[in-house]
Amino acid sequence: MPNREIVAENLVKRYNGSVLAVNDVSFRVKSGEIFGFLGPNGAGKSTTVAMLTTLIVPTSGRATVGGYDVVSQAGEVRRIAGVALQEIGLDPLMKSMELLTIQAQLFGMSRKQAQQRARELLELVKLSDVTDRRVGKYSGGMRRRLDLALALAHEPDILFLDEPTTGLDPASRRDIWNEVRRLNQQLGMTIFLTTQYLEEADELADRIAIIDGGKIVAEGAPAELKASLGSESINVTFRDVEAVDRARAALAGMADRMQADRKTLRLYLPNAAASVPAVVSRLTDAGLEPASLTLTQPTLDDVFLQVTGQRFRAEAAEVEAA
Amino acid sequence: MSVISNPTVLSGVRRAEVVRSMPFPLQVITMTWRNLVTIFRTPAAVIPTLIISAFFLLVYNSSLGGASNFVPGLIGQSYLGFILPVSVVSAALGGAGVAGQAIVRDIESGYFNKLLLTPASRGALVLGAMLAGAIILALQTSLVTVVGLLMGLQPKTGLPGILVMLGLALLLGTAFAGFTVAMALRSGNAAATQGATFLFFPLTFLTSTFVPINLLSGWIRTAAEINPVTYVLDAMRALLNTGWDAQIVLRGLVAILIMAMLTFTFAMASLRARTRRR
Repeated sequence: MPNREIVAENLVKRYNGSVLAVNDVSFRVKSGEIFGFLGPNGAGKSTTVAMLTTLIVPTSGRATVGGYDVVSQAGEVRRIAGVALQEIGLDPLMKSMELLTIQAQLFGMSRKQAQQRARELLELVKLSDVTDRRVGKYSGGMRRRLDLALALAHEPDILFLDEPTTGLDPASRRDIWNEVRRLNQQLGMTIFLTTQYLEEADELADRIAIIDGGKIVAEGAPAELKASLGSESINVTFRDVEAVDRARAALAGMADRMQADRKTLRLYLPNAAASVPAVVSRLTDAGLEPASLTLTQPTLDDVFLQVTGQRFRAEAAEVEAA
Repeated sequence: MSVISNPTVLSGVRRAEVVRSMPFPLQVITMTWRNLVTIFRTPAAVIPTLIISAFFLLVYNSSLGGASNFVPGLIGQSYLGFILPVSVVSAALGGAGVAGQAIVRDIESGYFNKLLLTPASRGALVLGAMLAGAIILALQTSLVTVVGLLMGLQPKTGLPGILVMLGLALLLGTAFAGFTVAMALRSGNAAATQGATFLFFPLTFLTSTFVPINLLSGWIRTAAEINPVTYVLDAMRALLNTGWDAQIVLRGLVAILIMAMLTFTFAMASLRARTRRR
């Protein structure tokens, strides 16, 4: 069993001596794990991937991929890593069969082997019927799938996927998710996946790290992170903002933590459902009538809010809408 | 619906059967072939140079063809034999631009990064573009020469002389390709690379383009004496109009080699700068 770990120790990337894109990032991805690297646009995700895949050199710190140092053993890293970058790098004048064959050949296959491999991969990503069309004529989804196929050409031990579903429709996104799971489960590939979608990280990753402003602000299994918030919440919405303040006073001491958000008051407490009657009776005693009352399990969005003090900015809303 | 069509499909070619890496010469051939494929899919990138070179030949020969009746140093010689090398040189320099354009196209599409993520040698990526450029310019210079022959050129040194002339053109073009490739790697930008190929103009025109060098004077004479193309033109003209002259041909060759040494050093430094990965 080959070493399929990724280890980053105090990675720093400073561009042009000033902009700090990645600021002291450390993590360890275990063999066979799907690791989600979650963060909004510009958080430093792609820069981290570029360092781990040997495209750029860290300003300081070190990292190993499959046990190989990304700076001094870059050649070995390239041999075992498959990479699909956020910016799909496909020559628009070439055809998918040609691109895949060249890719497989560059990883050491004979022309015949490479062609066989290319046909398999085209079938895998459902592009077998468009092999004669130039890549420039492909749709965004087709290009993503071909890019994924290229990353898989040499059956890598470790797969880096930089925002693999950004800009895809929900159906294509599901396809990619299924494929990522399959590669992980059947072939034991370690998968390093960056995403700006909370839902995607939650759905796919065994463990995640949340990166914001070049720094890792939280790390752990999604369930663990959500649990670390300590509590579910009861959300009480009133008809006016003034009622929120009065409710806050009336409910003092009942919750671990309270948070007002315009007309809504959130009460974070360990066993929310069981506490609902007590909350309602206290509000009634205070002469307050809630407009609505809901229960919430913590989400990664809450985790993000908790660690960064703001809501997740990315296109998360778009996913929910879709 | 799922992307998965057949769960075992990945096991068709096991990694165990695969050699560790592609031999370097094969890498170069593969990259050359790929560049040629894309060049032939965008004929618009190649045809203008060809047309311009043929245009030079026709126009200059028609308008200046009578010059060999009175220009000292040309009297008794064929003006076609004097001007054809200018067209050959311009076809060679124009064709060489293809190499830089091929690289910059890959950088702009992101495919260059994709290739950098494979175990392919960085040198093979650059050599592939250079060789593709060399093949294109060999085709272009040959075509221009054929046009010259059709116009009635009778080279003093016959077919062997024509081949030596085309060989010189190939070397000159490859040396210039080093420069366009360097600019492509350095800028990663099509406009800047295109701009760099404008060096073509001083190289082709600040020399004995229309009259022998001893008729030039002042700054243009100085420029022509520095310009390596002057010595290449001398060699080609000797082959076409006066006969074998080892010394002149050798001087042309040395001029090209000096130029190539400079451009290749520049290209290597630019390659290192781009792949040092900042």
